[in-house]
Amino acid sequence: MLSEIKVGGEPLPIRESLVREMEVAWKRLAGPGTWWTGAERLAIAAEARHATNCRLCQRRKEALSPYTHDGEHDAMCELAPAAVEAIHRLVTDAGRITEKWVRSLDLDETKYVEIIGVLAVLTGLDTLHGALGLPLTQLPAAMPGEPVRQKPQGAKRNLAWVETVAPEDVGAGEPNPYPLHGDKNIHRGISLVPQEVINFFDLDVELYMKDDEIRDFDTEYRAISHAQIELIAGRTSALAGCFY
Amino acid sequence: MSDQGLVDSIPNGKVLMDLVEAVFANADLAEARQAVRDDLGDAAFVDACGTIASFSAVVKIADGAGIPLEDYKEEVSREIRQELSINEFVT
Repeated sequence: MLSEIKVGGEPLPIRESLVREMEVAWKRLAGPGTWWTGAERLAIAAEARHATNCRLCQRRKEALSPYTHDGEHDAMCELAPAAVEAIHRLVTDAGRITEKWVRSLDLDETKYVEIIGVLAVLTGLDTLHGALGLPLTQLPAAMPGEPVRQKPQGAKRNLAWVETVAPEDVGAGEPNPYPLHGDKNIHRGISLVPQEVINFFDLDVELYMKDDEIRDFDTEYRAISHAQIELIAGRTSALAGCFY
Repeated sequence: MSDQGLVDSIPNGKVLMDLVEAVFANADLAEARQAVRDDLGDAAFVDACGTIASFSAVVKIADGAGIPLEDYKEEVSREIRQELSINEFVT
């Protein structure tokens, strides 16, 4: 089913399911998460949008190694410096993040992983608007409530730089991030905060495709073909410095 | 992926590549958008933008969490990774 999105006053066709998941994503960004409050999650989003103007990040981006430049970020929020460092690096130079840097952050790993989830969703929403020619959506008001602060009991450091939860280690009564979208490494990457896996991939399968649609070459699920989608995906990943 | 032959082998590959490049360069976007809309239609333009958004976002997870390639990807990409000496990059 198609809906419409107005770009420059002109209606463009857009899938209803994508519009719905964009709305859901904004609500989730503004609500309490697993380790951050709604206000903190929006502060993370605001800081992410601000990071591209940071002079320290620009110096690091231009340097042969980002680890040769110390200093203070041009921060606009009251989040802890380690959170600001994480946000700015993930926004401006994610491709040169190292395991050593992740381990050196003075920030709980659970909170770091939730930052990744928030930024992934925000990047999807903001990039879509920018590509379409729409202004960025104004950040919504924060919703009240406390984070649930529940760490999966089966989390282990055996796959990525951060702890993750294997499908067989999801505990009874814990949120299971895998049944709906799959359990490839990209799904497991932020499974230390299972709700963030759900938040991101609920949106992502509408931006891109569902896991079972990706290799179903007998059916086209979008207005562009599988080949066209993968051409765009490959070039985007290269420009974004992603070689996963 | 930047190989011209590959781009040419996919229908409308050039205008789609131009859109991706323009989004990342934040330049000539109006022209690139219009070219996709003219050649493929408005619904295709929106889905192309969705794909760009998806792969711009998912990199945050891959790079931030430091996930490895799955075994099947490791196997199919072994030759090209050797040719590029990409495994010698230290993380």
